[in-house]
Amino acid sequence: MISAAGLSRRFNGNLAVDGLTFAVPDGKLFVLLGPNGAGKTTTVRMLLGLIAPTAGAAEVAGIKLGGDADANNRLRSVCGLLTETPGFYDRMSAWENLRFFAHLYQIPESGRDAMLERHLKAMALWERRDHLVGTYSKGMKQKLAIIRAVFHEPKVIFLDEPTSGLDPEASLMVREMILGLKGQGRTIVVCTHNLDEAQRLADLVGIIRQRLLVFDTLANLQGGANQPLHVEVELAAPWSGQLHVTGAELVRRSERRLTFQVTDAAQVTPRLVSALVAGGASVLAVRPQARDLESIYLQSMHNELQP
Amino acid sequence: MNVLLLFLWKELRDVRRNPQLLPAYLILPPIAIFLPVIITALAPQIMQVDPNDPAMKAMARIVAATPEFQGYAQDEAITRYFLRNVILLFFIMPIGLSSIAAAFSIVAEKQQRTLEPILATPIGDQELLLGKLLAAVVPSVVLTWLSAAIAIALVDIISYNLYGRLLLPDAFWLIGILGLAPLLGICSVLAAMRLSAKSTDPQAANQMTALVIVPVFMLGIGVFGKVLSLSIAAAFGACAVLALVAVLLFRWNVRHFHREEILTRWK
Repeated sequence: MISAAGLSRRFNGNLAVDGLTFAVPDGKLFVLLGPNGAGKTTTVRMLLGLIAPTAGAAEVAGIKLGGDADANNRLRSVCGLLTETPGFYDRMSAWENLRFFAHLYQIPESGRDAMLERHLKAMALWERRDHLVGTYSKGMKQKLAIIRAVFHEPKVIFLDEPTSGLDPEASLMVREMILGLKGQGRTIVVCTHNLDEAQRLADLVGIIRQRLLVFDTLANLQGGANQPLHVEVELAAPWSGQLHVTGAELVRRSERRLTFQVTDAAQVTPRLVSALVAGGASVLAVRPQARDLESIYLQSMHNELQP
Repeated sequence: MNVLLLFLWKELRDVRRNPQLLPAYLILPPIAIFLPVIITALAPQIMQVDPNDPAMKAMARIVAATPEFQGYAQDEAITRYFLRNVILLFFIMPIGLSSIAAAFSIVAEKQQRTLEPILATPIGDQELLLGKLLAAVVPSVVLTWLSAAIAIALVDIISYNLYGRLLLPDAFWLIGILGLAPLLGICSVLAAMRLSAKSTDPQAANQMTALVIVPVFMLGIGVFGKVLSLSIAAAFGACAVLALVAVLLFRWNVRHFHREEILTRWK
């Protein structure tokens, strides 16, 4: 469980993160979306106890932020971090790098090498384990960094741009791995610009631009109860009638297709269909159209920038 | 494996493959080894070149006035005096190499972006600082000790042939090589670490080490070296003072070590 209440951070008087309040239940995947400089990395660093908030409070995996050094070390031992850039010693091999970090995470020596072998094989890096990391491609380094973020089996995993620099095949592999980690009950925070990736992964979505503009489940954002939604009606024959249904507004019309924006899909759609049929329309199909994350993101950014 | 040994292991692997750092490790030791050897071989002839030279006379007066050199023939006493002075090379080695290693290590951490992943692990501040300190100091001290051992063996071969006895290691060399050299290395690295934490970028940290730390310690050696080389008590005193300075510098580093500062100040 991750919870934050009024979490804020200033740098030299400038507000980097402003009053974040949210809660991510255990085992959920929270995607934090936002443009560059929106405060995503600062938020992750605060939640890991790497930088202190200037206001507010937070708790990660049952450990309150702002405790003593021991509490911070306990916090870091139950969290995994994939940094925005992978960060390895170029003049050491992948195997040496992973062993170095495995020591720092106090992974017991018994079974450690077998665990590393398992992860390296899963990421298709086993054959290159003795090569210097400096010779690795960006994608290979990213895979290595993902291994480092998860190899100590953390309860909470922070992934900053996990598929950045990866080819489509590797991106798919990483996404599947992230979903696998979620399936194991781990709580995951993914910072990304990639809306498609967010849509594929998220249980919860936060859109941040210094403050949290949106925080909800993906299902709710895309058209759950009480959310405005587009409903497309396909007709068997052309229809030119007019209708007035409270909560439904005709936004697009073609010969055999009508698109309405409805305020509450569950309440309004049945009344809309009844009115159409009563008005003589031959309704062939009714398709509620989920809002995609891109439109939600752009709308929230647009609203934020309005004076 | 202990975390301190782990950092040492990591640093050794990194240094071994670092083409920028390796030359410093390869150039200084031969100089430190061969200078005492040459001095031992040539010292008897130096006095014979011009015994009336004012500098030679001043040196002879110092040697004659130093109780530890009394009871030896002039050639041997002069040789012992020169060997006392040339030990300064073995002080420069840990200061120079440790500081360069520390500066390179910090720059490399930043360039390779390894600091944040390390700071995100459950390692304590004290362990991390101690690990970085030992990783910078131990290789240079081991190299200093190895070089000193080779120099001592070569000097003794020559001195046995010339005077029928082994000149090294005398008490001062033992204190200097085993005590002063590592302590000077530790103090210079701790000073470099503290100053580099104040820097806003790795290049500034590197320049700070090259332009401030090394010259300041060299100057200290230049000013006090002569006194230390003539008095065993002064050498012991210097060890005690340096040990105290090292403890204070380490505590200062721990107190002012903030992960946040490293993550947010460095560009």
